[in-house]
Amino acid sequence: MKKTKLGEFEELVLMTVVVLQENAYGVEIKRELESRLNETLSVGSIQSALKRMEEKSFLTSEFGEATQKRGGKRKRIYKATPYAHKVLQDMKDVRTQLWAAMPAAAAKLNFLMN
Amino acid sequence: MKLLRSVVRKEYLEEIEGDLEEVYADFLEQYSIKKSRRLYNREVLKVLRPALLKPLSGGQKLNYYGMLQHNLLLSVRIFKRYKSSFLINLTGLATGLACVLLIYLWVNDERSIDKFHEKDSRLYQVMGNYHDGADINTWNGMSAQVAGALIAEVPEVEKAISGTDPSWNIGYDLTYQETKVKATGRHVGPDFFNMFSYPLVQGNPDQVLSNKNAIVISEILAKNLFNTTENLIGKTVEWSSMNLGGPVIISGIFSSPPANATDQFDLVLPYQLYADDFGDQWENPNSVAWVLLKEGADLKNVNAKIEGLIRKHLPESNKTLFLQKYSDQYLHGEFENGVEAGGRIEYVRFFSLIAIFILVIACINFMNLSTARASRRIKEVGVKKAVGAGRSSLIFQYLSESMLMSFLSLLVAIGLVFTVLPQFNIITGKQIEPILSSSLIIGGLGITLLTGLISGSYPALYLSGFNPAVVLKGMLKGTVGELWVRKGLVIFQFALSIIFIVGVLVVFKQMQLIQNKALGFDKDQLLYFEREGKTVDNLEPFLQGLKNLPGVENASAINNDMFHPPGVSDFTWEGQLGEQIDIRRQMVYYDFIETLGVTLKDGRSFSRDFPLNKEFQIVLNQKAVELMRLEEPVGKRVKIWGTDALIVGVVEDFHFHSLHESIGPMYFDLAPNFLLNTMVRIKAGSAKEALARMEDFYTEFNPGYTFNYKFLDQDFQELYESENRVAALSRYFAGFAILISALGLLGLVAFSAERRMKEIGIRKILGSGNLRIVYMLSGDFTKMVLAAIVIALPISYYITSDWLTGFAYPIELKWWFFAGAGAVALLVAWLTVGFQTLKAAAVNPVKCLRDE
Repeated sequence: MKKTKLGEFEELVLMTVVVLQENAYGVEIKRELESRLNETLSVGSIQSALKRMEEKSFLTSEFGEATQKRGGKRKRIYKATPYAHKVLQDMKDVRTQLWAAMPAAAAKLNFLMN
Repeated sequence: MKLLRSVVRKEYLEEIEGDLEEVYADFLEQYSIKKSRRLYNREVLKVLRPALLKPLSGGQKLNYYGMLQHNLLLSVRIFKRYKSSFLINLTGLATGLACVLLIYLWVNDERSIDKFHEKDSRLYQVMGNYHDGADINTWNGMSAQVAGALIAEVPEVEKAISGTDPSWNIGYDLTYQETKVKATGRHVGPDFFNMFSYPLVQGNPDQVLSNKNAIVISEILAKNLFNTTENLIGKTVEWSSMNLGGPVIISGIFSSPPANATDQFDLVLPYQLYADDFGDQWENPNSVAWVLLKEGADLKNVNAKIEGLIRKHLPESNKTLFLQKYSDQYLHGEFENGVEAGGRIEYVRFFSLIAIFILVIACINFMNLSTARASRRIKEVGVKKAVGAGRSSLIFQYLSESMLMSFLSLLVAIGLVFTVLPQFNIITGKQIEPILSSSLIIGGLGITLLTGLISGSYPALYLSGFNPAVVLKGMLKGTVGELWVRKGLVIFQFALSIIFIVGVLVVFKQMQLIQNKALGFDKDQLLYFEREGKTVDNLEPFLQGLKNLPGVENASAINNDMFHPPGVSDFTWEGQLGEQIDIRRQMVYYDFIETLGVTLKDGRSFSRDFPLNKEFQIVLNQKAVELMRLEEPVGKRVKIWGTDALIVGVVEDFHFHSLHESIGPMYFDLAPNFLLNTMVRIKAGSAKEALARMEDFYTEFNPGYTFNYKFLDQDFQELYESENRVAALSRYFAGFAILISALGLLGLVAFSAERRMKEIGIRKILGSGNLRIVYMLSGDFTKMVLAAIVIALPISYYITSDWLTGFAYPIELKWWFFAGAGAVALLVAWLTVGFQTLKAAAVNPVKCLRDE
């Protein structure tokens, strides 16, 4: 299970990659996440998360087309690997189960707080 | 951007640059150019994250741990495979390191002496330069007025006090009710505990010495006297020393001075008690003075101000003052013509040098063995290079091997150091604790790293430089240069060893000369003991009683220390031509000259038939008569401190100093009231009986006191304590140096014999005898040792003759010292080589040739 270690931010980036599909390259991921999280992110933080996940084989990547705006430099399009999908699914399951177990505890908590 | 390109991994560069540009374009849409630039720059800086950066060196990630692991494994395998050279290396390096660590500890300890005072940087001793004609003699004796004058007249002086000279080591008796203990003490001025860091356990440093009837005692003394250190303040005790003494009140208790203090004492009395009896006139240099300068005071300035202080108050004085740092006195205690001229610091330097040499010798062993062994590892180097190992990684490999070696040696060395430390402490008279102090750890690690680096560097550079193609063909031929380096190193090692041997020999001979030199009197059967109790007031009957004992030859009394007679500043005579002589004075009793056994040359000695009246009676030594240019000295008069003194006799010169100095002028002075010690000569051969009888007589005559005697030749030995210690230490270290060199040679011979195995086999088959082969193998090494001898002898001659100039009575440097040292070196070399070569020569030729 060691490989499934996925940080919170990494998980967000990974899910964004899945959401953006063919358009998943650095700046686009940044924009998407910024709008969803409602906070400013730096290129560096996104890039290092991407590289780390690539190293852990959550992502693969290939060069896409170059645009004028990028000074003629190619984009690198990221894709989640099947393994990443599995890990995301696992994490979601764990969370769902946990949520399912929550109400009792949550009710207790509410009761105590009132 | 440039920064980015230089540090970000190449693979990521295009993508990240692109991203950044796109972001920049986005910024431009929203903000001004300026702001966009700023934001862009921030983005760039934020890219600098470990995950995105290049590794620290090289274009690709190297597996450092793997390499290191591999290197260590390889080293361990090599150690295992070539056990003999591993053991030789380990022994050599470990002994070398142990020697160096010991010396390091010793030097550290020497340098820490007296440095523990908190105000050390501002604490000074007042020194005086006496200008006697062309000579300047330096001495710390001072009038007690000096301290007061310094405070009043020099603004930079914060505090100054007088005190009795610690080196006098005056014995005190301290009595409380029935208990009486002996102690050493000082009389010092009131600020003593404010200037020096001898912490007070009880009492206030400002007040403990302000009362004239106060006494401050050490914890140890308190325990001896009262069995406790509690509730002692305010108790009255009785002190006595010689014929002085009186009741005093305990005002404080201090913890005894630490081992690294030069000044060791058990009690402190106010200076005023001493001054009342001995005076404090400007003419009277009977104390010493210590000064605490203000923060930021400039020593040069202060020295300029105090130089003429004495002359200001005493115009006829020939004395100028200067300050020496208090903690410098221990290591820089010698003066020549008023200028600091070394002292113990020379020993510190000397041993540091020896440490370096021993380490170098040990490193050379390692270098030599590893380069010599190169041929064994040549294939390894070749293969590694062929598969693409860089030179730097090979260098790294060999360095890590030598580091491993030196750290292993360090472990062994630390074990050795701890085992021999008690013995070492005895030889050096130190109390170095066998603990892993931070200084030992830092020093040890530093020295070890250095050793590893030095000993690994040459083999690393040499081995890594081979051309793989040549190497793998097996065509390695040592170049002439490389052979010379190895030979040169061996020669250097042996040259150092020979210099050590000569040095040890000369030191030993000189010490022997000193200890056996005829002093002008027989020091062997003389003993002395303190006068106390009834013997103080009843000297005459006491001495008569002693003389009547069988086995006692003669008895008299003497002021203080036989070998440290005090100087006299005010000594004038008729026919004096303005010069002053540095004459020494020994205060004695009747019969002293006879008891000591010096030869009377002219006139008479002190006699009870001529008792002392208004004028002094003195007996001069020959040297004094010569310097004073007196034709008929006996019956003439001289003036000492303005009082007439009659010359009643002249004795032949004898040694009353350490033999560093030649005999100077001195006189005996009949002074029955100032005699601290009784001196007795016993007959040779019956010492035990005589001592027993003396003890009986003493306890009967002087009840309540114990008979504590000391032989004069012990005192004489103590004069040369530091030389004897250095001699003993250097003997050991020279021994180790030779041992390590021999080990290195052993390794080399074993190796070369092994490499020439086939040659030996063939030679034997062709009819060569064993001896012939031994000769062939050892000839090379003999030549090297001979070369070392040729180099070492002139150097050792120069060094030893330089050392001997420090003695007034040096030995002659005989040719056989040098020949002997050379012979020893050669012998050691032959023994090591011979054993190995005999083994090699005795081998059965079939064995070494059958595998071809």
